[in-house]
Amino acid sequence: MKKAVSVMVLVAVAALSILCFGSMASAGEEIKMVGVITKIEIAGPDAKTATATLKDNKTEQPVVITVNDDLTLDKFKDHRIVEGDEIRCKYEVIDGKNVSKLFRKTAGC
Amino acid sequence: MSKKSVTAVVLCLALAATAALAASEHPGKESIEKSGYKGPETCEECHPGTAKAFLDTVHWKHASKVTNVDNINPKLEYGMKNRIYVMCNGNDIVNNLKEIPKSPVTGKSKFSGCNTCHPGNHLSDVGSTGPAAAAAVDCLVCHSTEYDFRQRKAFKNEKGEVVMGQDRSTKAALAIGKPTVKNCMVCHEAAGGGVIVKRGFSFTKDTDAHAAKGMVCVDCHKTKNHKMPTGHDPNNWANDGVFLSCADTSCHGVKPHKDADLNRHSAKIACQTCHIPRTGGAFAKDFTVWEQTPDKFYEPTTLKKEANETTPAYAWYNGTVKNTPHFIGPKGSRKDGKSKITPFKIFQGRAYYNKQTGELLSMDFAQPMSNGDTRAGVLSAAKTLGLKNPEKIAKEAVPGWQTIYFGSNHLVTKTKALYCANCHAPNGVLNFKDLGYSDKEIVKLTSPELYMEKVAKKQKEEW
Ligand code: HEC
Ligand code: HEC
Ligand code: HEC
Ligand code: HEC
Ligand code: HEC
Ligand code: HEC
Ligand code: HEC
Repeated sequence: MKKAVSVMVLVAVAALSILCFGSMASAGEEIKMVGVITKIEIAGPDAKTATATLKDNKTEQPVVITVNDDLTLDKFKDHRIVEGDEIRCKYEVIDGKNVSKLFRKTAGC
Repeated sequence: MSKKSVTAVVLCLALAATAALAASEHPGKESIEKSGYKGPETCEECHPGTAKAFLDTVHWKHASKVTNVDNINPKLEYGMKNRIYVMCNGNDIVNNLKEIPKSPVTGKSKFSGCNTCHPGNHLSDVGSTGPAAAAAVDCLVCHSTEYDFRQRKAFKNEKGEVVMGQDRSTKAALAIGKPTVKNCMVCHEAAGGGVIVKRGFSFTKDTDAHAAKGMVCVDCHKTKNHKMPTGHDPNNWANDGVFLSCADTSCHGVKPHKDADLNRHSAKIACQTCHIPRTGGAFAKDFTVWEQTPDKFYEPTTLKKEANETTPAYAWYNGTVKNTPHFIGPKGSRKDGKSKITPFKIFQGRAYYNKQTGELLSMDFAQPMSNGDTRAGVLSAAKTLGLKNPEKIAKEAVPGWQTIYFGSNHLVTKTKALYCANCHAPNGVLNFKDLGYSDKEIVKLTSPELYMEKVAKKQKEEW
């Protein structure tokens, strides 16, 4: 913790722009898509992973997304996210799987 | 034992106690199991008067009297029910839950309305009273961990009325407890038109120091008789008359640091300024131009960022609010003895203004959502509100911008809290000039003289 403070201070004193955490999200090769869920597969209430098939709005092709984050898994389990919902998704290809980095309903105003 | 380990022990005990409480079963379980769940009346057997009392809260009324805002009538009630601003350019009244006109492209309709984020069934709607309203309260949306959200959807009943569904299953009623983060986030996470849109409000171990400690919303928003304490966000007016702040003595007090240099700052600087250095969500919307989405419906053009991606704006704030057609935000000054430098999320929205009066108009979203016709939305809202000559108003309405400031009160960090040079370097986060400091003072406030020795010492300790 102390270290973090001093690093911050060093950065701050030297930096061009203070507090430049930058855009934290865009590290790897992320692919963005919007699509409607056609299928959710999740193995029971204790599942630590699930897959959702999205029909890509641009290409009309099905894309299978692997979801590992607890918040989204929970939304599958209690049906806050269901088949038919439109999703904005960012994923990364890891070991041949499309692993979700962001999985969000596109709800408007 | 050092002070720190005492705190640690106390914290552990507190956490253990909370965990024990959470694990203990709801004493009503057996009885509910026997007779099944029939809605609030089941709870009322042991918690009499609860539902009726709930009807008098902001969560039911979406409004309350408001005393700290300019240009409003102190005798009336304001809130999501009737306010007009540009984060969402409507309200519960003009955007009452309904089936929108069919899309001319797909022939499909859908349900839409602001009052979906209300724990009633829409037949008993925002602000309704009486026995039917008391029976319609969705206790489980806040209290059950087994809620099935497929039930919480709008549908039409046999009389053609639009009803908001609820999960009233006995299964859900058997999983009663103190509200979890998820219970609250059912509505709060998508305020403003989608997840994190309004304030970048994410409450996870990665985004909030309190969430990382396992705290939940109601650990801070301690609620008695369903009166929910809140702060003084300049754009969240409605309140139950109870308030909370980071500096409450029951939480941290005004001198939470071992370092007196930090504590000294809390006279003029809000805790949030140092501890919530980032904000996020949507930063601009255009309600005069809607974009078609892949499902062929439309939504207002929206520019947005992730939860932690934008820098706040800093302003003096004394808890009172300037409210004009083109600006809703904090009032305060360096000199009034009450204001503190406070971080805000700035948002700008374009919507239609009344050509005659210059007032901001509101919009029914049903028409623009269906076919992009925004003036038809203005017309429908003007009619609902009983404005004179609604056709003329809609036809002549002039697009214009409004800037609004949102309080930034979550996304708390300790490790990334602002430290001396974040503010006192010449390119620091605060614009001392805009904040009312003289050139002479600024020279002093931006000199390493203020922190050289201290930061040097800290640097040395760490290497
Ligand atoms: C048979 C009696 C009985 C019934 C029926 C009942 N409760 Fe309770 N409930 C209790 C008792 C006893 C307590 C513990 C004392 C207290 O807090 O009042 C309690 C506590 C609670 C608490 C506090 C729990 C906590 O951990 O903080 C909540 C919330 C609650 N009940 C909600 C409900 C709801 C909602 C219903 C209807 C679905 C309901 N109760 C039905 C008896 C009952
Ligand atoms: C059914 C939807 C819904 C749920 C569930 C919900 N809220 Fe709210 N909440 C709202 C809405 C809508 C408003 C704004 C009403 C207004 O300002 O007119 C609000 C306002 C608030 C406010 C500010 C006004 C006040 O009453 O103090 C606080 C604080 C708050 N909610 C906290 C919570 C917490 C904590 C929970 C979980 C226990 C929760 N809410 C659950 C919809 C909800
Ligand atoms: C997903 C749930 C949800 C929906 C849908 C929703 N709101 Fe809200 N709204 C909230 C919550 C929660 C708050 C209070 C907390 C906050 O401001 O972050 C709020 C607060 C507000 C406020 C400020 C109220 C005050 O007391 O000052 C206004 C105005 C508002 N909403 C307008 C709208 C409009 C207009 C719509 C529909 C177009 C809408 N909301 C739809 C959840 C919702
Ligand atoms: C908007 C969310 C919300 C709704 C809806 C709601 N509650 Fe609560 N309730 C709370 C919160 C928050 C607390 C305080 C929890 C705490 O601090 O431990 C609470 C506490 C309680 C308690 C404990 C005693 C007390 O008053 O503090 C009971 C009993 C209770 N609620 C019953 C009900 C019943 C019955 C209903 C339906 C008529 C209901 N609640 C609807 C949020 C809600
Ligand atoms: C660590 C304590 C803490 C926790 C945990 C917490 N809040 Fe808050 N919240 C506050 C404080 C303090 C304020 C008001 C600060 C002020 O205005 O000075 C606030 C303000 C609010 C407001 C008013 C609008 C705004 O953003 O200023 C809402 C709504 C709200 N909280 C909802 C929630 C919900 C929902 C959760 C859980 C997901 C939550 N809070 C968790 C401390 C907390
Ligand atoms: C001028 C900036 C600043 C202000 C204002 C400020 N803090 Fe801090 N705070 C910090 C920094 C920097 C740290 C980290 C210090 C460290 O770890 O050495 C910190 C640490 C803390 C800690 C953790 C203490 C510990 O020993 O772990 C708490 C709790 C805290 N602050 C609460 C508050 C509250 C409450 C307020 C408002 C009354 C506040 N702070 C105002 C900068 C500030
Ligand atoms: C959030 C920005 C911020 C941070 C972080 C911060 N300061 Fe300040 N500091 C200010 C502001 C603003 C003032 C002027 C307050 C006033 O009007 O009285 C000030 C005033 C001072 C003063 C008094 C100067 C005078 O002549 O009146 C000293 C000394 C000082 N800060 C030292 C520090 C040190 C040391 C640290 C790190 C531990 C620090 N500050 C961190 C914003 C900050």
